[in-house]
Amino acid sequence: MKRGIVLLLALAFLSSCATVDMGEIREHMGMITATAGAARKAMRPISDEEEYYVGRAVAARILSSYPLSTDQRLAAYINMVGQTVSLHSEKPCTYGGYHFALLESAEMNAFACPGGIVFITRGMLNAVNTEDELAAVLAHEIAHVNKRDGISAIKQSRWTEAVAIIGSTAAREYGSTEFSQLVDIFEGSVDDVVKTIIENGYGKSQEYSADKTALVYLSKSAYDPSALKNFLERTVEGGNASGGGLFKTHPATADRLENIKDDLPAEGADILMAQKRAGRFISEIR
Amino acid sequence: MKKKIVSAGLLCIFFFSPGVLSAETAKVITKENALREDCRFLSPVKARLKYGDQLEILSGDADWFNARYKNKKGCIHSSAVKEKKISLAGLAAPGSEPATEDEVALAGKGFNPQVEDSYKNRHADLDFRKVDSIEKYRISEEELFTFIRKGGLHQP
Repeated sequence: MKRGIVLLLALAFLSSCATVDMGEIREHMGMITATAGAARKAMRPISDEEEYYVGRAVAARILSSYPLSTDQRLAAYINMVGQTVSLHSEKPCTYGGYHFALLESAEMNAFACPGGIVFITRGMLNAVNTEDELAAVLAHEIAHVNKRDGISAIKQSRWTEAVAIIGSTAAREYGSTEFSQLVDIFEGSVDDVVKTIIENGYGKSQEYSADKTALVYLSKSAYDPSALKNFLERTVEGGNASGGGLFKTHPATADRLENIKDDLPAEGADILMAQKRAGRFISEIR
Repeated sequence: MKKKIVSAGLLCIFFFSPGVLSAETAKVITKENALREDCRFLSPVKARLKYGDQLEILSGDADWFNARYKNKKGCIHSSAVKEKKISLAGLAAPGSEPATEDEVALAGKGFNPQVEDSYKNRHADLDFRKVDSIEKYRISEEELFTFIRKGGLHQP
Protein backbone atom coordinates (compact mmCIF):
# COMPACT_ATOMS: atom_id res chain seq x y z
CA MET A 1 0.00 0.00 0.00
CA LYS A 2 2.74 2.42 1.08
CA ARG A 3 4.73 1.56 -2.04
CA GLY A 4 1.65 2.28 -4.14
CA ILE A 5 1.21 5.74 -2.60
CA VAL A 6 4.88 6.57 -3.13
CA LEU A 7 4.65 5.40 -6.74
CA LEU A 8 1.50 7.49 -7.30
CA LEU A 9 3.14 10.59 -5.79
CA ALA A 10 6.24 10.04 -7.90
CA LEU A 11 4.11 9.67 -11.04
CA ALA A 12 2.15 12.83 -10.15
CA PHE A 13 5.41 14.73 -9.72
CA LEU A 14 6.85 13.45 -12.98
CA SER A 15 3.72 14.04 -14.97
CA SER A 16 3.45 17.61 -13.65
CA CYS A 17 7.00 18.18 -14.81
CA ALA A 18 6.22 16.70 -18.19
CA THR A 19 3.30 19.06 -18.80
CA VAL A 20 5.14 22.29 -17.87
CA ASP A 21 6.93 23.78 -20.84
CA MET A 22 10.37 25.40 -20.62
CA GLY A 23 8.90 28.88 -20.94
CA GLU A 24 6.86 28.33 -17.80
CA ILE A 25 9.86 26.90 -15.95
CA ARG A 26 11.86 29.93 -16.96
CA GLU A 27 9.10 32.26 -15.74
CA HIS A 28 8.76 30.45 -12.39
CA MET A 29 12.49 30.39 -11.88
CA GLY A 30 12.62 34.11 -12.62
CA MET A 31 9.96 34.80 -9.98
CA ILE A 32 11.66 32.55 -7.42
CA THR A 33 15.03 34.19 -8.06
CA ALA A 34 13.54 37.68 -7.84
CA THR A 35 11.74 36.92 -4.58
CA ALA A 36 14.77 35.23 -3.05
CA GLY A 37 16.96 38.12 -4.21
CA ALA A 38 14.66 40.71 -2.67
CA ALA A 39 14.49 38.79 0.61
CA ARG A 40 18.25 38.34 0.71
CA LYS A 41 18.76 42.02 -0.02
CA ALA A 42 16.34 43.09 2.71
CA MET A 43 18.20 41.03 5.28
CA ARG A 44 21.72 41.52 4.08
CA PRO A 45 24.24 42.55 6.72
CA ILE A 46 26.75 45.35 6.27
CA SER A 47 29.35 44.06 3.84
CA ASP A 48 33.04 43.86 4.70
CA GLU A 49 33.66 46.74 2.30
CA GLU A 50 31.03 48.91 3.97
CA GLU A 51 32.38 47.95 7.39
CA TYR A 52 35.78 49.14 6.20
CA TYR A 53 34.50 52.63 5.36
CA VAL A 54 32.71 52.90 8.71
CA GLY A 55 35.95 51.80 10.40
CA ARG A 56 38.02 54.44 8.61
CA ALA A 57 35.64 57.18 9.76
CA VAL A 58 35.67 55.81 13.31
CA ALA A 59 39.49 55.83 13.21
CA ALA A 60 39.46 59.46 12.00
CA ARG A 61 37.15 60.38 14.88
CA ILE A 62 39.43 58.67 17.42
CA LEU A 63 42.44 60.44 15.92
CA SER A 64 40.70 63.78 16.45
CA SER A 65 40.88 63.15 20.21
CA TYR A 66 44.08 61.10 20.52
CA PRO A 67 47.32 62.11 18.75
CA LEU A 68 48.91 59.48 16.50
CA SER A 69 52.46 58.48 17.44
CA THR A 70 55.13 59.16 14.87
CA ASP A 71 57.50 56.55 16.34
CA GLN A 72 58.07 54.27 13.34
CA ARG A 73 60.06 51.70 15.28
CA LEU A 74 57.23 51.17 17.75
CA ALA A 75 54.71 51.13 14.89
CA ALA A 76 56.71 48.29 13.31
CA TYR A 77 56.88 46.32 16.54
CA ILE A 78 53.19 46.71 17.41
CA ASN A 79 52.28 45.73 13.86
CA MET A 80 54.48 42.62 13.99
CA VAL A 81 52.81 41.43 17.20
CA GLY A 82 49.31 42.37 16.00
CA GLN A 83 49.72 40.85 12.53
CA THR A 84 51.00 37.60 14.02
CA VAL A 85 47.94 37.29 16.25
CA SER A 86 45.47 38.41 13.56
CA LEU A 87 46.76 35.76 11.15
CA HIS A 88 45.77 33.14 13.74
CA SER A 89 42.26 34.53 14.13
CA GLU A 90 39.21 33.06 12.43
CA LYS A 91 39.09 35.98 10.01
CA PRO A 92 42.65 36.85 9.06
CA CYS A 93 41.58 38.60 5.86
CA THR A 94 39.39 41.67 6.17
CA TYR A 95 38.61 44.03 3.28
CA GLY A 96 41.33 46.52 4.18
CA GLY A 97 43.48 44.26 6.39
CA TYR A 98 44.59 44.72 9.98
CA HIS A 99 46.61 47.79 10.96
CA PHE A 100 47.91 48.62 14.41
CA ALA A 101 48.83 52.10 15.60
CA LEU A 102 50.02 53.79 18.76
CA LEU A 103 48.22 56.79 20.25
CA GLU A 104 50.18 59.28 22.32
CA SER A 105 47.96 59.31 25.37
CA ALA A 106 48.70 58.46 28.98
CA GLU A 107 45.22 56.97 29.25
CA MET A 108 45.33 53.18 29.49
CA ASN A 109 43.21 52.12 26.55
CA ALA A 110 42.87 50.24 23.27
CA PHE A 111 40.25 50.54 20.53
CA ALA A 112 39.17 48.27 17.71
CA CYS A 113 37.68 50.07 14.72
CA PRO A 114 35.39 48.02 12.48
CA GLY A 115 37.29 46.44 9.62
CA GLY A 116 40.68 46.07 11.30
CA ILE A 117 42.34 49.29 12.46
CA VAL A 118 43.40 48.75 16.09
CA PHE A 119 44.72 51.49 18.36
CA ILE A 120 46.67 51.09 21.56
CA THR A 121 47.62 54.04 23.77
CA ARG A 122 51.06 54.81 25.18
CA GLY A 123 49.50 54.38 28.63
CA MET A 124 48.51 50.83 27.74
CA LEU A 125 51.89 50.08 26.22
CA ASN A 126 53.52 51.21 29.46
CA ALA A 127 51.12 49.04 31.48
CA VAL A 128 51.97 45.77 29.73
CA ASN A 129 55.16 44.07 30.92
CA THR A 130 55.93 41.61 28.15
CA GLU A 131 55.38 40.96 24.45
CA ASP A 132 52.90 38.24 25.41
CA GLU A 133 50.85 40.72 27.44
CA LEU A 134 50.91 43.16 24.51
CA ALA A 135 49.74 40.31 22.29
CA ALA A 136 46.94 39.58 24.79
CA VAL A 137 45.67 43.17 24.67
CA LEU A 138 45.79 43.20 20.85
CA ALA A 139 44.17 39.73 20.68
CA HIS A 140 41.22 41.06 22.70
CA GLU A 141 40.80 43.93 20.20
CA ILE A 142 41.18 41.61 17.20
CA ALA A 143 38.40 39.47 18.68
CA HIS A 144 36.12 42.54 18.67
CA VAL A 145 36.94 43.07 14.96
CA ASN A 146 36.35 39.39 14.13
CA LYS A 147 33.01 39.35 15.95
CA ARG A 148 31.99 42.64 14.31
CA ASP A 149 31.17 44.09 17.73
CA GLY A 150 31.77 47.62 16.46
CA ILE A 151 29.38 47.20 13.55
CA SER A 152 26.77 45.63 15.83
CA ALA A 153 26.68 48.94 17.74
CA ILE A 154 24.96 50.53 14.73
CA LYS A 155 21.26 50.92 15.40
CA GLN A 156 19.26 48.35 13.46
CA SER A 157 16.79 51.00 12.29
CA ARG A 158 19.62 52.94 10.64
CA TRP A 159 20.81 49.97 8.65
CA THR A 160 17.27 48.99 7.68
CA GLU A 161 16.81 52.50 6.30
CA ALA A 162 20.16 52.30 4.49
CA VAL A 163 19.24 48.98 2.90
CA ALA A 164 15.93 50.42 1.73
CA ILE A 165 17.82 53.20 -0.07
CA ILE A 166 20.69 51.07 -1.35
CA GLY A 167 18.64 48.07 -2.36
CA SER A 168 15.68 49.66 -4.07
CA THR A 169 15.45 49.29 -7.82
CA ALA A 170 16.12 53.02 -7.90
CA ALA A 171 19.46 52.29 -6.24
CA ARG A 172 20.87 51.69 -9.66
CA GLU A 173 20.35 55.35 -10.41
CA TYR A 174 19.61 57.13 -7.14
CA GLY A 175 19.82 60.88 -7.01
CA SER A 176 21.21 63.50 -4.69
CA THR A 177 18.38 63.24 -2.13
CA GLU A 178 18.90 59.52 -1.62
CA PHE A 179 22.65 59.99 -1.58
CA SER A 180 22.40 62.71 1.05
CA GLN A 181 20.18 60.42 3.14
CA LEU A 182 22.77 57.68 2.82
CA VAL A 183 25.52 60.03 4.05
CA ASP A 184 23.28 60.96 7.02
CA ILE A 185 22.92 57.26 7.83
CA PHE A 186 26.66 56.74 7.46
CA GLU A 187 27.29 59.63 9.84
CA GLY A 188 24.80 58.24 12.35
CA SER A 189 26.40 54.81 12.08
CA VAL A 190 29.87 56.23 12.77
CA ASP A 191 28.44 58.10 15.79
CA ASP A 192 26.89 54.89 17.12
CA VAL A 193 30.21 53.02 16.92
CA VAL A 194 32.32 55.86 18.38
CA LYS A 195 29.89 56.32 21.26
CA THR A 196 30.05 52.63 22.04
CA ILE A 197 33.79 52.11 21.88
CA ILE A 198 34.84 55.37 23.57
CA GLU A 199 32.01 56.22 25.97
CA ASN A 200 29.60 53.38 26.74
CA GLY A 201 31.65 50.29 25.98
CA TYR A 202 30.43 47.04 24.49
CA GLY A 203 28.07 44.76 26.36
CA LYS A 204 29.50 42.56 29.11
CA SER A 205 28.89 39.43 27.06
CA GLN A 206 30.84 40.91 24.13
CA GLU A 207 33.78 41.72 26.43
CA TYR A 208 33.76 38.30 28.06
CA SER A 209 33.59 36.67 24.66
CA ALA A 210 36.49 38.81 23.38
CA ASP A 211 38.60 37.72 26.38
CA LYS A 212 37.86 34.04 25.79
CA THR A 213 38.51 34.38 22.07
CA ALA A 214 41.77 36.21 22.79
CA LEU A 215 42.97 33.13 24.72
CA VAL A 216 42.36 31.01 21.61
CA TYR A 217 44.30 33.39 19.35
CA LEU A 218 47.18 33.49 21.84
CA SER A 219 47.34 29.70 22.03
CA LYS A 220 47.23 29.36 18.24
CA SER A 221 50.04 31.91 17.89
CA ALA A 222 52.11 30.22 20.63
CA TYR A 223 51.91 33.29 22.84
CA ASP A 224 51.25 32.48 26.50
CA PRO A 225 47.48 32.71 27.13
CA SER A 226 48.24 33.29 30.84
CA ALA A 227 49.59 36.68 29.79
CA LEU A 228 46.01 38.00 29.69
CA LYS A 229 45.40 36.76 33.23
CA ASN A 230 48.74 38.16 34.44
CA PHE A 231 48.00 41.55 32.97
CA LEU A 232 44.49 41.72 34.42
CA GLU A 233 45.67 40.53 37.84
CA ARG A 234 48.37 43.18 37.92
CA THR A 235 45.91 45.95 37.13
CA VAL A 236 43.73 44.79 40.04
CA GLU A 237 46.71 44.64 42.40
CA GLY A 238 48.01 47.99 41.19
CA GLY A 239 44.65 49.61 41.89
CA ASN A 240 44.28 50.65 38.23
CA ALA A 241 41.23 48.53 37.63
CA SER A 242 38.73 51.18 38.66
CA GLY A 243 40.21 54.10 36.75
CA GLY A 244 39.13 55.70 33.47
CA GLY A 245 40.03 54.67 29.94
CA LEU A 246 39.75 50.95 29.42
CA PHE A 247 38.27 50.40 32.87
CA LYS A 248 35.46 52.86 32.26
CA THR A 249 34.19 50.87 29.28
CA HIS A 250 34.94 47.29 30.38
CA PRO A 251 33.38 45.00 32.98
CA ALA A 252 35.04 44.83 36.42
CA THR A 253 38.49 43.29 36.05
CA ALA A 254 37.81 40.73 38.79
CA ASP A 255 34.80 39.54 36.77
CA ARG A 256 36.91 39.31 33.63
CA LEU A 257 39.40 37.16 35.51
CA GLU A 258 36.63 34.92 36.76
CA ASN A 259 35.31 34.64 33.19
CA ILE A 260 38.56 33.30 31.74
CA LYS A 261 39.81 31.17 34.62
CA ASP A 262 38.37 27.91 33.26
CA ASP A 263 39.60 28.57 29.74
CA LEU A 264 43.26 28.92 30.53
CA PRO A 265 45.23 25.95 29.22
CA ALA A 266 46.72 23.65 31.86
CA GLU A 267 50.10 23.84 30.16
CA GLY A 268 51.67 27.21 29.67
CA ALA A 269 53.71 28.37 26.70
CA ASP A 270 57.39 27.58 26.23
CA ILE A 271 58.97 29.54 29.13
CA LEU A 272 62.32 30.00 27.44
CA MET A 273 60.76 31.46 24.32
CA ALA A 274 58.43 33.63 26.41
CA GLN A 275 61.49 35.03 28.21
CA LYS A 276 63.19 35.62 24.87
CA ARG A 277 60.15 37.55 23.69
CA ALA A 278 60.08 39.51 26.96
CA GLY A 279 63.68 40.54 26.26
CA ARG A 280 62.71 41.58 22.73
CA PHE A 281 59.84 43.63 24.19
CA ILE A 282 62.14 45.52 26.53
CA SER A 283 64.63 46.33 23.79
CA GLU A 284 61.83 47.56 21.48
CA ILE A 285 59.78 49.50 24.00
CA ARG A 286 62.12 51.01 26.53
CA MET B 1 4.25 6.99 -22.55
CA LYS B 2 6.41 5.32 -19.91
CA LYS B 3 9.50 6.46 -21.80
CA LYS B 4 8.14 10.02 -21.97
CA ILE B 5 7.50 10.11 -18.21
CA VAL B 6 10.95 8.75 -17.45
CA SER B 7 12.57 11.31 -19.76
CA ALA B 8 10.56 14.13 -18.22
CA GLY B 9 11.52 12.91 -14.76
CA LEU B 10 15.18 12.86 -15.66
CA LEU B 11 14.82 16.36 -17.09
CA CYS B 12 13.28 17.53 -13.80
CA ILE B 13 16.05 15.96 -11.76
CA PHE B 14 18.61 17.53 -14.10
CA PHE B 15 17.20 21.03 -13.70
CA PHE B 16 16.20 20.94 -10.05
CA SER B 17 19.36 19.38 -8.62
CA PRO B 18 21.80 22.23 -8.02
CA GLY B 19 24.71 19.83 -7.74
CA VAL B 20 24.31 18.60 -11.30
CA LEU B 21 25.05 21.85 -13.08
CA SER B 22 26.84 23.81 -10.42
CA ALA B 23 30.48 24.89 -10.51
CA GLU B 24 32.25 26.61 -7.63
CA THR B 25 33.71 30.00 -8.23
CA ALA B 26 34.68 32.63 -5.71
CA LYS B 27 35.18 36.37 -5.77
CA VAL B 28 37.98 38.11 -3.89
CA ILE B 29 36.36 40.34 -1.25
CA THR B 30 39.44 42.08 0.12
CA LYS B 31 41.16 45.08 -1.45
CA GLU B 32 44.29 43.02 -2.07
CA ASN B 33 45.20 39.39 -1.61
CA ALA B 34 47.36 36.65 -3.01
CA LEU B 35 47.20 33.16 -4.43
CA ARG B 36 49.89 31.30 -2.51
CA GLU B 37 52.02 28.28 -3.27
CA ASP B 38 51.03 26.46 -0.07
CA CYS B 39 47.97 26.74 2.14
CA ARG B 40 49.56 28.98 4.76
CA PHE B 41 50.19 32.69 5.08
CA LEU B 42 53.69 33.91 4.21
CA SER B 43 54.03 31.10 1.65
CA PRO B 44 55.42 32.32 -1.71
CA VAL B 45 52.96 34.32 -3.80
CA LYS B 46 51.92 32.83 -7.15
CA ALA B 47 49.56 35.64 -8.20
CA ARG B 48 48.55 39.00 -6.77
CA LEU B 49 44.79 39.41 -6.52
CA LYS B 50 42.51 42.37 -6.07
CA TYR B 51 38.90 42.94 -5.08
CA GLY B 52 36.47 41.34 -7.49
CA ASP B 53 38.92 38.91 -9.11
CA GLN B 54 37.21 35.60 -9.88
CA LEU B 55 38.75 32.29 -8.88
CA GLU B 56 37.78 28.74 -9.65
CA ILE B 57 37.63 26.72 -6.45
CA LEU B 58 39.14 23.28 -6.92
CA SER B 59 38.93 21.94 -3.37
CA GLY B 60 39.26 23.12 0.18
CA ASP B 61 38.33 23.00 3.82
CA ALA B 62 37.03 25.51 6.34
CA ASP B 63 40.22 27.59 6.27
CA TRP B 64 41.88 27.28 2.88
CA PHE B 65 40.82 26.76 -0.70
CA ASN B 66 42.85 25.31 -3.54
CA ALA B 67 41.96 27.57 -6.40
CA ARG B 68 42.83 28.46 -9.98
CA TYR B 69 43.33 31.99 -11.23
CA LYS B 70 44.34 32.62 -14.84
CA ASN B 71 45.89 29.16 -15.24
CA LYS B 72 47.76 29.43 -11.96
CA LYS B 73 46.89 27.05 -9.17
CA GLY B 74 47.43 27.91 -5.55
CA CYS B 75 45.87 28.51 -2.14
CA ILE B 76 43.76 31.32 -0.77
CA HIS B 77 42.28 31.74 2.71
CA SER B 78 38.52 31.26 2.87
CA SER B 79 38.02 34.62 4.60
CA ALA B 80 39.41 36.41 1.54
CA VAL B 81 36.76 35.16 -0.86
CA LYS B 82 33.04 34.81 -1.21
CA GLU B 83 31.93 31.58 -2.76
CA LYS B 84 29.46 31.67 -5.58
CA LYS B 85 27.69 28.65 -7.04
CA ILE B 86 26.87 28.95 -10.71
CA SER B 87 23.89 26.81 -11.49
CA LEU B 88 20.81 26.57 -13.69
CA ALA B 89 22.34 29.13 -16.00
CA GLY B 90 19.88 30.90 -18.21
CA LEU B 91 16.77 29.63 -16.47
CA ALA B 92 15.98 32.83 -14.64
CA ALA B 93 13.93 35.23 -16.67
CA PRO B 94 16.25 37.91 -17.96
CA GLY B 95 15.71 41.35 -16.47
CA SER B 96 13.44 40.08 -13.71
CA GLU B 97 15.98 40.11 -10.88
CA PRO B 98 16.28 42.92 -8.36
CA ALA B 99 19.68 44.50 -7.71
CA THR B 100 21.87 41.96 -5.95
CA GLU B 101 24.53 42.82 -3.36
CA ASP B 102 27.17 42.46 -6.08
CA GLU B 103 25.29 44.65 -8.52
CA VAL B 104 24.84 47.27 -5.86
CA ALA B 105 28.55 47.14 -5.08
CA LEU B 106 29.48 47.32 -8.74
CA ALA B 107 27.12 50.22 -9.21
CA GLY B 108 29.08 51.96 -6.47
CA LYS B 109 26.19 52.07 -4.00
CA GLY B 110 26.25 51.56 -0.25
CA PHE B 111 28.89 52.92 2.13
CA ASN B 112 31.65 53.58 -0.36
CA PRO B 113 34.37 56.12 -1.26
CA GLN B 114 31.77 58.64 -2.46
CA VAL B 115 29.90 58.46 0.85
CA GLU B 116 33.22 58.81 2.67
CA ASP B 117 34.09 61.88 0.56
CA SER B 118 30.80 63.53 1.45
CA TYR B 119 31.36 62.69 5.11
CA LYS B 120 34.85 64.25 4.86
CA ASN B 121 33.34 67.40 3.35
CA ARG B 122 30.96 67.67 6.28
CA HIS B 123 33.82 67.14 8.78
CA ALA B 124 36.81 69.10 7.58
CA ASP B 125 38.23 68.80 11.12
CA LEU B 126 38.79 65.07 10.67
CA ASP B 127 42.19 64.17 9.26
CA PHE B 128 41.74 61.13 7.03
CA ARG B 129 45.36 61.47 5.85
CA LYS B 130 46.42 60.00 9.19
CA VAL B 131 44.09 57.06 8.62
CA ASP B 132 45.62 56.63 5.16
CA SER B 133 49.11 56.68 6.67
CA ILE B 134 48.14 53.92 9.13
CA GLU B 135 46.81 51.81 6.28
CA LYS B 136 49.79 52.45 4.05
CA TYR B 137 52.24 51.41 6.76
CA ARG B 138 53.41 47.93 5.85
CA ILE B 139 55.81 45.40 7.24
CA SER B 140 57.20 42.99 4.69
CA GLU B 141 56.33 39.30 4.76
CA GLU B 142 60.04 38.51 5.17
CA GLU B 143 60.24 40.72 8.28
CA LEU B 144 57.14 39.12 9.75
CA PHE B 145 58.41 35.63 8.97
CA THR B 146 61.70 36.37 10.79
CA PHE B 147 59.87 37.99 13.72
CA ILE B 148 57.66 34.93 14.16
CA ARG B 149 60.56 32.49 13.86
CA LYS B 150 62.83 34.35 16.27
CA GLY B 151 60.01 34.64 18.81
CA GLY B 152 59.31 30.89 18.74
CA LEU B 153 55.79 31.61 17.51
CA HIS B 154 53.66 29.52 15.17
CA GLN B 155 53.81 30.29 11.46
CA PRO B 156 50.23 31.04 10.40
